[in-house]
Amino acid sequence: MTRQTQPADDDTRVRIRAPRNRPDRRFVVWRTLQAAIGAVVVLGGLGVLLGVVERTRPWLGPVLVVLAVVYLVNITVMPTWRYRVHRWETTDEAVYALEGWLTKTWVVVPVSRIQSIDMRTGPLEQALGLATVRVTTASSEAGVTIEGLDVHVAEETVRRLKDVTAATQGDAT
Amino acid sequence: MSDGTAWRRLSVRIVYLDVLRLAASTAVGGLGLALDGSAAVRPLLIGAAIGVLGALADLARWLTTSYRVTEDRVELRSGRLVRRHRTVPRDRIRTLDSSATVRHRLFGLRVLHVGSGDPESSFTLDALPVAAVTRLQQELGAGSRPVTGAGQEPDDVQDVPGTAAATGTVIARLRPSWVAYNAVTPGAVLVLVGPLLAAYGFLRPFGVDLLDVGRGLLDRVPLDRPWALAACVAVALPLGVAGQAARFAVQHRDFTLSRVGTPPKSALVTRRGLLSTRTVHQDDARLRGLALTEPLAWRWLRLARTTALATGLSVADVMAGGSPASSVLPRMRREEALAVGARILTDGARPLEAPLARHPRSALTGRLLGAVAGSVVVAVVLLALGRAGVLPGRSSGWWPAPLLLLPVTVALTVARYRALGHAVAGAYVVVRDGGGTRVTVALQRRAVVGLSVRQTLLQRLGGRLTVRFATAAGSRVYLARDTGVDQGLALVAAARPDLAVPLLSDPSGARPSSSP
Repeated sequence: MTRQTQPADDDTRVRIRAPRNRPDRRFVVWRTLQAAIGAVVVLGGLGVLLGVVERTRPWLGPVLVVLAVVYLVNITVMPTWRYRVHRWETTDEAVYALEGWLTKTWVVVPVSRIQSIDMRTGPLEQALGLATVRVTTASSEAGVTIEGLDVHVAEETVRRLKDVTAATQGDAT
Repeated sequence: MSDGTAWRRLSVRIVYLDVLRLAASTAVGGLGLALDGSAAVRPLLIGAAIGVLGALADLARWLTTSYRVTEDRVELRSGRLVRRHRTVPRDRIRTLDSSATVRHRLFGLRVLHVGSGDPESSFTLDALPVAAVTRLQQELGAGSRPVTGAGQEPDDVQDVPGTAAATGTVIARLRPSWVAYNAVTPGAVLVLVGPLLAAYGFLRPFGVDLLDVGRGLLDRVPLDRPWALAACVAVALPLGVAGQAARFAVQHRDFTLSRVGTPPKSALVTRRGLLSTRTVHQDDARLRGLALTEPLAWRWLRLARTTALATGLSVADVMAGGSPASSVLPRMRREEALAVGARILTDGARPLEAPLARHPRSALTGRLLGAVAGSVVVAVVLLALGRAGVLPGRSSGWWPAPLLLLPVTVALTVARYRALGHAVAGAYVVVRDGGGTRVTVALQRRAVVGLSVRQTLLQRLGGRLTVRFATAAGSRVYLARDTGVDQGLALVAAARPDLAVPLLSDPSGARPSSSP
């Protein structure tokens, strides 16, 4: 571990391998809609406040501008960027997922430590035929959330994971 | 509940205690009324009312509470209006914590807290006779027998015969020098404030106004002179330190940490206290590692505190210093803390002393840039807000504060960088972090329940990443922050080769090597 970042031969280095599967294409639509709704609620609310309560004008104006830029990026860039990053896979040994855009997170959870597996579909997801699979462990810090799966893929994944975990012994701590 | 195990009750003696409390509270209230009916006696009356209500509630509790221990669970029934029936599986019980206040002691009573790490299924039996507590500890505790006898008060005559025998192996026992190590804290000056406030509240009904007395003193002593202030501190500090020392000595009298039972059914047992004693059992099977905490102020004295990491304690407990004080030892010399830590672990390893790999220089430059940029941004925002007239009054002149504090920020940043380190030592993965409080954690590799690698945009540019080891013990996640990319991946591969299989690809075709 004392190895520094010396110019090692690039081909012999251990690297991170991305998981195999991408989310469904509708993931982009879903995240865009979500961000847009958020923008309407927050920016609209603050805009009304700005119009009604005069005292807030000197400082709320700049805050609104900053927020508007953030939401613009969130609507236009973030969903596609995330779609290009997000990956997931499940094997008989582990659940492995990569998510994020500016900050990337690779998570591995061994099947023997899984405590619960659930599937979640919000109203938007239902309309789009998408689902989110969530795997939790004894540590609140080690959970995997796989977003934007086709409902059928999600159901199949949950069923498979349940079979695998049932066959694995361990008290999960 | 089909089986016919008998239900047990709380001790009748709590009724006597409550009758006494009722009488005392009424007497105090009567005294207050007899003095005069003005507003000044109100605290006395409120106190008396609280006392009466508390005693009545206690009586009701005694009437309605019962518990029993069956083969596989403990059950507690309580309440009349709202009935509760709580069932805790026996293998979920993590800590047995018996404590006693002075008034419990007078009646030979103990309070037993049965902790399962989950507030929903933990409960308190207030109060039981000493013999019943001992019996429960024997029934429920891991390891054969709880520690009794050693340092038991002579008035505790209800000892079950034969329990004094098994004291286990003592890992640590209170040393007089610890009192000194734990008495001197920056907060010592403030120790007197609490009792003074209490005295003020208590004496006011009797016509003694400590504020007036204080003001009289202040008129004669000019506080604005530096020497007067220094004199105040010179008086308050030793008194405060003495107060802290006394408090520590009272809380930790007869402190022993020992191991009872034989593996694999062994447990750590902590006993301590003069006025309130607590005995905490903790299964060795739930031990997951150690943490060594060194706050900045103590590092130059080479003082440190060892904590055992165990599953089943809630995060809140851990934050509160592991409230079932099971695993928390007092502050002691670093070498002592390390030696005790080595004895807490059952495998004889000394992972906390493993040499740690340093993290790349770019971590320091990145953090320094971040600190400077952050300070500038905060200062600019403050300036802008001040210009806009949003900040109240004179505070708009404070905008340069973040810049003036920069030397402190930079020093802490450097200290934090120097703390960074990681290693894989035998069965443990070791990480160190922290500027103000440096924490070294040795976590069993098999206790890692999930592993993640995180890389922010800036870390990507600097060729660094953060490895997060999630676990069910301690604070739930331990980080190796800002390692070099190769370094971090090597750490993953060495710590958990099984989890490295899906995560890492090795172009040479072999599995990731377990050591770089």
